[in-house]
Amino acid sequence: MTADSLREYLGALESCGDLHRIDEPVSWNLEASAVTLLLNEADGDVPLFEDVDTARLVGDPYRGSQRRPWDRIALGLGLPRDLSYEEYYESVIDRLKDPIEPRIVSHDDAPCKRRIQTGEDVDLLDYPWPYIHAGDGGRYSNLHTLIAPDPDSEWVDWSYHRSMIHDSETSSVLLLAGEQTPNLYYYKYERRDEPMPVAIAVGVEPAVQYTSVMWIPTGRNEAEYAGGLKREPVDLVPCETNELMVPASAELVIEGEILPNERRDEGPFGDYFGYMHGPRRSMPLFRVTGITSREDPIIPFCVEGTGVGETENATSSMEVGCVGPDATLGLRTAGFDVQCIAPWKSTPRTVYVISTETTDPSYLHDMANFIFTTWGMLHVDFFVFVDADVDPLDQRAVIEALALHADPDADFHQFGVETMPKVPLNIYQTPTEKGDIQTGTSKAKTAKAYIDATSAGDADPDDRFRDDSADIDRRYRARRILERAGVETGDLPFAETEADR
Amino acid sequence: MTALRDHLDWLRETDTTVDVTEPVHWDGTVEAVAAEATRHGCPVVRFTETSGIARLVSGVYGGPDQFFSDDRDPWDRIAGALGHPPDGSYVDLIDRLARWEPASIDERPDAEPDATRCDGADLYDLGLPTTREGVPLVSLGVIAAEVDGETTWAPIAGRGRRSTELRLSVPRPFAEWCPPRTDVSVLLGVSAPVLIAALQAWTQGQPTPDAPALAAGLSDLQLATIDGRTVPAEAEVRVDGRLSGIDPKDAGRTAAWEIGQETTTVAVETTGIATREQPTIPFAPFDRPLADDVHLACLVEAAKLFRRVKNYWGVSPVRWIQIPVEGRLGLCIVSSEILYAGFEWQLANTLFSFSDLFDKVLVVDEQADPTDLARALDDMWVKAHPANDWVFSESHASSAAAPEYRDEDAGSRLYINATWDPRWDEEYIAPRVTMETAFSESVLASLADRWDELGLDEAVRPDRLDGDD
Repeated sequence: MTADSLREYLGALESCGDLHRIDEPVSWNLEASAVTLLLNEADGDVPLFEDVDTARLVGDPYRGSQRRPWDRIALGLGLPRDLSYEEYYESVIDRLKDPIEPRIVSHDDAPCKRRIQTGEDVDLLDYPWPYIHAGDGGRYSNLHTLIAPDPDSEWVDWSYHRSMIHDSETSSVLLLAGEQTPNLYYYKYERRDEPMPVAIAVGVEPAVQYTSVMWIPTGRNEAEYAGGLKREPVDLVPCETNELMVPASAELVIEGEILPNERRDEGPFGDYFGYMHGPRRSMPLFRVTGITSREDPIIPFCVEGTGVGETENATSSMEVGCVGPDATLGLRTAGFDVQCIAPWKSTPRTVYVISTETTDPSYLHDMANFIFTTWGMLHVDFFVFVDADVDPLDQRAVIEALALHADPDADFHQFGVETMPKVPLNIYQTPTEKGDIQTGTSKAKTAKAYIDATSAGDADPDDRFRDDSADIDRRYRARRILERAGVETGDLPFAETEADR
Repeated sequence: MTALRDHLDWLRETDTTVDVTEPVHWDGTVEAVAAEATRHGCPVVRFTETSGIARLVSGVYGGPDQFFSDDRDPWDRIAGALGHPPDGSYVDLIDRLARWEPASIDERPDAEPDATRCDGADLYDLGLPTTREGVPLVSLGVIAAEVDGETTWAPIAGRGRRSTELRLSVPRPFAEWCPPRTDVSVLLGVSAPVLIAALQAWTQGQPTPDAPALAAGLSDLQLATIDGRTVPAEAEVRVDGRLSGIDPKDAGRTAAWEIGQETTTVAVETTGIATREQPTIPFAPFDRPLADDVHLACLVEAAKLFRRVKNYWGVSPVRWIQIPVEGRLGLCIVSSEILYAGFEWQLANTLFSFSDLFDKVLVVDEQADPTDLARALDDMWVKAHPANDWVFSESHASSAAAPEYRDEDAGSRLYINATWDPRWDEEYIAPRVTMETAFSESVLASLADRWDELGLDEAVRPDRLDGDD
């Protein structure tokens, strides 16, 4: 069954033996994140800190294993945890293709309204926002849903922009022009000198969190997609201090507005690249007007920067489990023939791998061009195209394809040298190149590239490494023999999927 | 000395073997099972029910890819087979292989070969793995030949043609070194030093017949003499015979060591077979990811390059070199101090000069961990500027042997510079997020103090970690 709340999801984790409750007092000041980082690196249980001042914290609740990053995402959707990645992808895609309208509930039926602070009662510092890495610019909320409306339509965007707490009623929000909510702010609200009403829903139910991470097309009702993922309506309830509707199941909702032409420091921060990027920069100011919450709320957070290499965290697992299927659906909807698009598991957000039957060079160029000018514009630097029979989540197979099929002469395609926009979170630009421009992107432009690692251009594409149907049948029989010999099925990653091909 | 039997015992003790006890000796099934096991990082597979005299075993010099396991490295089994200390590092391993220190074998006592004659046995009786058509396959062995009192060992890959004929691919320089109708021994089930020495002697650009001495330099080798030929005494199976023909036409690439080599197919007319009691023959499935021969070839080539560049400029900025088995010889990674701006260009192109196998080099900082391929590649994606640090040569470079894409002789090469620019101010350099950099010593000390209180032993799920972690 799909989890209706973060609490229900944590209960499901506990039922699976994957939750570690820590009843002893733990400090929000680096201690909770140190424990979480340790458990991320060890592929251990998800830590729930039961006693952190006035609330509870949970570290990287959606983190999966690097072998199967989607497993806990699947748990939140009530999907079996033993699905192959293809089965998982197609299940999520089916759900996204069948949105369900949200349901409006009363205050009394909204768990997030158990405690309400408005006006002078508001105090952000009443909550144990974690200080995640030594060297961070401040304490952060970084695993939440930021809700912001388009001033010119009914559209409301759900997104995932982190927020650095400054004092009892303000924080700065990382808004990088080029993404949906930042564009609303920089090019509509700020140009009109109007504040942007915002709600930050913290500790939302899994389907809402997943939707916030996905790139839902502009103008679509994100709550409907969350309902589709959940297979039942998401409950929404009105805010206390603005007109926004927020997920009623949230642990805590911060209401407020992002002010025009007001900036505060943001960062440095240990970011998803795996490095502590800098320098400190100016980002829009969020002023809090109200806070509502459950009793004894649970605040989730992500130890960013740990989802690289062999370690997973919530961000890297959600990249695979949420963005992957969503992007696959997006490309198919745009008319591209893709088997699967998946992030490079060791490097979230910077590089994606796409398996496709159609390997015509102009087709690949058009697909790369489409992605780089839409959702892949800011964060993604590379796309790697592989044959349809290569599993994009199998890094060994992709490295082999890169090494053996990507010709430096013909298969590496760069879109210029200093042509394209980039987030300033990167580590390959100098502080001077990044600058501190008003709209958040780097001052200097950069390049993006796609790599054709399909076998289409090979000297003899019919040569090695191709399995015919008889090979596939033999491989299937071989696996059964290994299983009968005592090899754990878990040691045969993606075996069922390969047999199906 | 780690003979194959000792190595198999070690593998059993370290719980890295499984036994296939059902009969699987038809329709190429043994090879298919081995290929599937190696592809998926499975344990070593011993086939105990075979059709012939010998038991078969796959994966003895193989291992999982680096993405698959965080407590095992691809080269662990080879390191174990060389008697490398369990806590020995990758750098120590390639450094040892890079030494190329032949040891004299003249004074070594002549041992009795462990294999004894099996009268009347032919190639089919051995129970070698077969193709789907039933053709016996030979891999992970060496051919021994003696010319003018000097014995050499060379790598082989091939198949049985009749019950008394083997057709073997060998390095062309070896075939040219051997006169026609030379008496030879084909040795299967030999130790890692023997296989490695044969590769070093004949596939590293400067052919030498010195393989037995190179093997002796790697380990305390027991040697025997058969008809004047020096052979490793511990070989599980020895097929004696005579070169009966040479076919310069390449019979098709089958083993990783053949990539980039000029090879010749020789026919060996067999005259006798000797085996140890209950012999075991290791084999590698041909042309499959992560197969043993790919592991051996990657390690030997990396060691060669390490040897060549180690003191090339009078100093030793290179910390390690890896030809990751995951890239099947088509990619080289080098970790080095960048001595000055542009050194990365010099380094990458030096490696291109010393190896014909790959046309892509990734340069990473000297702090990069050779056991963390995921992190090295992460640096490739996030630390290298997508345009400025992905550097393509002009298109007249010689084509590399491992990649699949080029028929013509020339093309571009690529190196990726994922190192910090030595011209950058220190403040530009972003520190990594690690336990050590993200938390102060006092936080870490407190965590250690509170370990039991927080129940962390239970939470780290020891079943997911190896003991030392």
